[in-house]
Amino acid sequence: MLETIHASLQTVAQLEAAIRGGEPLFLAGSRDALQRLPRGNWVAGTIPYFMTDDGGLLSEDRVFATPVPACAVSVKPAVYGASDLAALYREAPLHGFTFLVLPAATEVHKTFAERASSFDGFLLKPMVGWVTGVRVDRIGAERPAVIDGMTGELFEDRCAALHLALPANKIADLDIVNIFDRGDGPTIRFDDAGFKVRECLIDGGWANLASYVTRHGIPTEFPLVGDYNGSAINVSFQKVDAQAGTVDFYAPVFPGVNYHFAKPVADYEKAFAEAIGNDSQEPEFACNCILNYLYGKLEGKKTGHVTGPITFGEVAHQLLNQTMVRLYLRDIG
Amino acid sequence: MLPDSAHPVWIQIATGKKAVSSGKLAINLLIQNNRIEMEKDASPAHVKEIAGRTYQFFKQYETIFASEFQKILG
Repeated sequence: MLETIHASLQTVAQLEAAIRGGEPLFLAGSRDALQRLPRGNWVAGTIPYFMTDDGGLLSEDRVFATPVPACAVSVKPAVYGASDLAALYREAPLHGFTFLVLPAATEVHKTFAERASSFDGFLLKPMVGWVTGVRVDRIGAERPAVIDGMTGELFEDRCAALHLALPANKIADLDIVNIFDRGDGPTIRFDDAGFKVRECLIDGGWANLASYVTRHGIPTEFPLVGDYNGSAINVSFQKVDAQAGTVDFYAPVFPGVNYHFAKPVADYEKAFAEAIGNDSQEPEFACNCILNYLYGKLEGKKTGHVTGPITFGEVAHQLLNQTMVRLYLRDIG
Repeated sequence: MLPDSAHPVWIQIATGKKAVSSGKLAINLLIQNNRIEMEKDASPAHVKEIAGRTYQFFKQYETIFASEFQKILG
């Protein structure tokens, strides 16, 4: 593989040469910027928000480019719909990983979110990536999309993948930075998986979650934190409708998981800097959540030294919310 | 060196009889997923399937999670 550029925000003109030179790339940018790129060995998702070396940034004319690691032994772009997501895992390399972009609020996004762990290959074939979006003031007016750079085709209802095979001496390791811890409040459990919730068990008693959140003035800019055997996995609030008695989330809740309201975070920039610390190895790829950018007022502020797209959902094996995801390649001999 | 795939430790991990404590995301997703799967169906055939997947996972990540696995497997 070529790897002539490093992971960073680039102009369309800067990327043209790398694409024409055959460099495989995983891209993030506005629909307009991505559609100005030449065809080539790339897949992309729409988003105009980025973590850069200079801090959080909204840019509709630049594109964040993540080069395929130079050690990759093969690269295969592909697109999948909700009904053929099992093929995403079937076609992923036995030894490697897959860059994945899923358009927000679509059937393929929902199916991946609810069913990723049920597919053969879950965890064994690492998926890393993000959910595509649009400028927040254009939500509803413009649709998130992915693009297969080989054909130039844009999809609003399919996900795009870049399957990468690695040499025997490298392995993909996905890691998350979650600035939220569980709070001291009640334990919440759900009977069914889903993005929309009505009733749930709160400290063992049935209650309507929307009513509970409203009555107790729970701040919904902070997520529910699920306890996955000690790893904190967030589910972010999208909308609480006390009148309808429903809560919509940006990721599904699952039965069998204990959830808690998160402990509030006052300073997101500081929280990320502390969580990331002085990690010496640079990730091959990273992304962070638009809700952290918005609620944490991260425009112009840094998230440690990590750069990448700011997204409508993150993928590290499964869909995540309000979380930074990092991909590392480790040596195994 | 991992115990072979027929070793009872994989069933113990799959069923939660052997507690696993880890700071690694992938390990915790595996264990939580096993727990959810067990709540759905604890039949011997399903337990065997989950134990098989658990062994495969440990095999794949044996090198990078060596110290974690050593703690888990004793």
